[in-house]
Amino acid sequence: MTTYTPAISDEAYGHRLDHVASDKRMRPDNIELPQGAWSGLSRVCMFAGGAGLILTIIGGLAIGPKHAIASYHAAVMAALAPCIGALMLIMIFQLLNTHWSITVRRQFEHLARLAPWIMLLLIPTAVIELFTGGTLFAWIGSEGHLAEMKEPFLNVPFWLLRGVIYWLIIFVLSQRLTGASLEQDRTGDRWLTAKMRRTSAWGIPALALTLAFLSFDWLMAVDYHFFSTMWGVYYFAACAFSALAIVMLITAGLRASGRLTGIVTPEHDHDHAKLLFSFIVFWAYIFYSQYFLIWYSNIPEETAFMNIRKSGGWEIAFYALIAGHFILPFLLILPRTVKRSTPLIGALAAGLLLVHIFDLFWIVRPEVYAHDAWKASLAPGLSPEQSTEAYNAVMAEGPGVFGWWVDIAAVVGVMGVFFAMLLRRVASGPLIPIKDPRLPKALNHRNYV
Amino acid sequence: MSPIHPDQKNTERLAGLRPQAAAGTATDIGDGSLIEDPASEPPLVLGGRSIQDVTEIVCGYQEKGPGKWWLPAIMTSASVAGIGQLMILYLIITGVGTWGLNNQVGWAWDITNFVFWIGIGHAGTLISAILCLLKQKWRTAVNRSAEAMTIFAVMCAGIFPGIHVGRIWFIWMIFPIPNSNWIWPNFRSPLLWDVFAVSTYATVSFLFWYMGMIPDFATLRDRADKRLRQGISGLMRLEAPELPFMPRLGFNLPVRSDTLRAYIYGFLALGWRASSRHWHRYENAYLILAGISTPLVLSVHSIVSFDFATSIVPGWHTTIFPPYFVAGAIFGGFAMVLLLLIPARELFANMKDLLTLRHLENMAKILLATGTMVGFAYSMEFFIAWYSGNQYEFEVFAFNRVIPDWMSDRGAPYWWAYWTMIGCNVISPQVFWFRAMRTNPMVIWSVALLVTIGMWFERFVIIVTSLHRAFLPGEWQMFFPTWVDILTFVGTLGLFLTLFLLFMRFLPMFPIAEIKAVMPEGDPHDPRGGAKHDDEGSH
Amino acid sequence: MAISDYIPFFPVKPAPFFTEDGAPIHGLLAQFDTPADVYHAAEAVRDAGYKHWDVHAPFPIHGIEEAMGSRRTILPFIIGGGAITGVCTAIGMQYFMNAIDYVFVVQGKNPWAWEAYVPITFELGVLLSAFAALFGMLALNGLPRFNHPLFQSERFLDSTDHCYFICIEARDPAFDPTKTIAALREAGASNIELIEESQA
Repeated sequence: MTTYTPAISDEAYGHRLDHVASDKRMRPDNIELPQGAWSGLSRVCMFAGGAGLILTIIGGLAIGPKHAIASYHAAVMAALAPCIGALMLIMIFQLLNTHWSITVRRQFEHLARLAPWIMLLLIPTAVIELFTGGTLFAWIGSEGHLAEMKEPFLNVPFWLLRGVIYWLIIFVLSQRLTGASLEQDRTGDRWLTAKMRRTSAWGIPALALTLAFLSFDWLMAVDYHFFSTMWGVYYFAACAFSALAIVMLITAGLRASGRLTGIVTPEHDHDHAKLLFSFIVFWAYIFYSQYFLIWYSNIPEETAFMNIRKSGGWEIAFYALIAGHFILPFLLILPRTVKRSTPLIGALAAGLLLVHIFDLFWIVRPEVYAHDAWKASLAPGLSPEQSTEAYNAVMAEGPGVFGWWVDIAAVVGVMGVFFAMLLRRVASGPLIPIKDPRLPKALNHRNYV
Repeated sequence: MSPIHPDQKNTERLAGLRPQAAAGTATDIGDGSLIEDPASEPPLVLGGRSIQDVTEIVCGYQEKGPGKWWLPAIMTSASVAGIGQLMILYLIITGVGTWGLNNQVGWAWDITNFVFWIGIGHAGTLISAILCLLKQKWRTAVNRSAEAMTIFAVMCAGIFPGIHVGRIWFIWMIFPIPNSNWIWPNFRSPLLWDVFAVSTYATVSFLFWYMGMIPDFATLRDRADKRLRQGISGLMRLEAPELPFMPRLGFNLPVRSDTLRAYIYGFLALGWRASSRHWHRYENAYLILAGISTPLVLSVHSIVSFDFATSIVPGWHTTIFPPYFVAGAIFGGFAMVLLLLIPARELFANMKDLLTLRHLENMAKILLATGTMVGFAYSMEFFIAWYSGNQYEFEVFAFNRVIPDWMSDRGAPYWWAYWTMIGCNVISPQVFWFRAMRTNPMVIWSVALLVTIGMWFERFVIIVTSLHRAFLPGEWQMFFPTWVDILTFVGTLGLFLTLFLLFMRFLPMFPIAEIKAVMPEGDPHDPRGGAKHDDEGSH
Repeated sequence: MAISDYIPFFPVKPAPFFTEDGAPIHGLLAQFDTPADVYHAAEAVRDAGYKHWDVHAPFPIHGIEEAMGSRRTILPFIIGGGAITGVCTAIGMQYFMNAIDYVFVVQGKNPWAWEAYVPITFELGVLLSAFAALFGMLALNGLPRFNHPLFQSERFLDSTDHCYFICIEARDPAFDPTKTIAALREAGASNIELIEESQA
């Protein structure tokens, strides 16, 4: 443990903490939710979640497990993204020593603390994949050249072991960081901030590798032929984007229930909206770069992946994704009035959360019918037009009325459970890190330009 | 400048963070720049300097000159630059055959140098733009020099694509202008995107740099004007260097240097009169320019990476190239900033008060972060090369780069280039995990030098090792640089240094106005900015 | 800023106040010692209802816009215009040249495919918005303008170094030599100077 030299005495620092605590904005009815608040909402979410999951199971029994698993898995990865993204953003904030993020950091911490528990939702996917011998993750039961070549990495024991390692890294990091922050609430020990910064220094590379391989294992491997070095960065872009969106949604909710007055001001909203804006652009940059390089080079094993996601009805989803994930939010968030209004930015964040879920569905769901559609299109004696028609006909089975219904059930199910846990956590304690040494600066934060 | 003992004044300033803290102990904090106490912020300007002192220090570099070392330094670097220009002339007269290119390796040092220089430029925009957006106030100490470095590095970079086309008199065909063949350029070619990206980048960086200097030019203009009005400026004097056994030679020119300053800086300042209504629009424009420069810098190096990644050459086609090139560019650029500024910090008077150890430590941290990012990309590339199941892809990495030729018959003759790259870029910055290393200028400088070398080798590895062995073993060929290759590159180093030395001599090396704005003395709500105590924080 | 700064012979209202020598008066220049002083003085001047006045400081004082009660600039819209122009130019240029006027068929790619046209579209958008940012800022500020009555004051030359000034122009309807001087003195000015119009 490094020893630090204080620049001001503990006594003087104690005075400063008292000074902050006596600020009129720091009264309990502004920085805490009442006992049992939001528990009704949380219960509704939990109920909706349970119902959604039951319907997903029914859907799986009715129209085949592959579709239901794909929907469930996409929804879980969509819910896991903000948790991991929040963990990454906390560490980045700590390293950059930002003061403007302090007043919403607690919400990021709640999300990050959920990460290991949301990760447990991957267990059902893994169990079903193992029992069915690979439905969605086709490599489990596949033979052939590529499956054999990739065997040293893509084999069941190693896959599960890696899952456990990811869980441990995420568990340790999230507990250490959020635990230190909660401890600081109680003790006011300013050196915990230094401790969190030190954890973040090694935590970021550790989490970056975890995130990359997690996304390879659980997203990229839905088509084991496909490979992209960018994939980890792509999932990270989705992680950070969704974490910001959810935190803005929660903050808007808290402001609507009369909390955080004078604490999360338009100045803070402005900065968070700018950060969200930058991640809208970052996502577009990563999405475009990956798609574009694959499109341009046109190497079969890569292009097939994009081709499935740009044909058979999914081309609409592809362009909708570009419009909804980049162009629309980019234009909507540009005006200064939007950035500085909590309700508007909250509404935008809710929309972005839906778009984020849609992004994950676009990655996972087309895989369900792609193999069959491809087989149908190769039936002997078909002209190119007929072949395309046959392909589209099979792909369209998924987005049929009943198919969509399972997708929605899975999203409601997973997101219901996720929000039930999150809302309970948000209501569980102070809404901001009340004894953070940078809090005075954060409270008086201004954007002068 | 007021002769204040830095430590004493600084301790007072730190103790004065809050009225209550005055009683607190402030022991063993050195010059104060390395405070780790989360409860206080390290000062950005040391030595108890006032706002007037900052003007005095920075303008002093132009008015008094940098010192005796400057003239020999620029004469040396200009000579080296001249050799480079001669090489270019020789190349144009003779043809690209004077380089070591061959049938397999059609791109070698030329494009390596291009990517190397353009990458170095990117740190300037990063410090200016991204750190500005992230509200990292410490950027003010380095942003001006880094922006200057950007312009000069882009100038060096621009030389190579220009001359590598061979018949340089046809270079106009890359521009979208109607020509006698009735054809247009191919907008689906990454090389054409380069033309647009690099020229946009050069233009926008220049605008950004120049815009930042407008208020500082006004400061220089006003100081010269004031001396002229007060009648204390002397005539310009030319003097021969001092030599033993020789009488001192020198004569006056019929012009005052302050007259020249007032005219030249006055012209460049565009009549800036420090109006707050102007400042408002100025800051707005500056922030938006920072906002658009950030995606610009990402796009430029991404487009440079597209030169390679859109192809299907194994080792070139990989989707992580765009962000990986950007991280590498920032990494190499920060190394170059440190290479230049650590010596400058020793050579210029009082510069250590503006460019503190804290600044160096922060930049060392960025080197560590970006170096690790580059390492992440190397490992991703290697893993996916294996995971892809594509034999050619994997062999490029394993047998063209990693495994030395003395370990395997199929091993890479260029293993030393690969391992230099790994050693310099990934391993050497890891010393910055230790604070003692991060705060030691000599160590930082050495690592920066290694990183600069490593980043040059990174581009060499990507370009040459991927090309020298194509799909048919019968075609395999090694690349050997000629003396023209080497001297052209050395010439650009000379050109870069020459331009940077000119910058240090004639332009404001620090953003005077911006430093003042982040000083507590410039904050109307801070007691040091004249605020009454009860005024603090009430806005 | 005034249009007459740019266009000679543009009708300029005659100055309402003159010195004893008959020289037209530009305004009053008050000097302040600290940012806090000039900040509070600006608040006082704003509240007194002046319109044609300005604060001069060596750096942007944080929050001075509020203290001066000045409106936000329209510069972002100008820059947005630049960006749209750049994007449209790039899209038009590329489709015209490669898909309409001279159809390039390379790599079997559709000439109308948008993917390959993105980089240059982005670059031109950035280029024109950067031009709009710098030149828009200069135009709104009425710069370049090399001559200004304020430059006659030797004290004013310190405004780019370490001094803070408020200048109230004589053309302001609320300007009154004696009252304005008193008000500035009240606001804490350490020195007040009379600035004449510069003689062309």
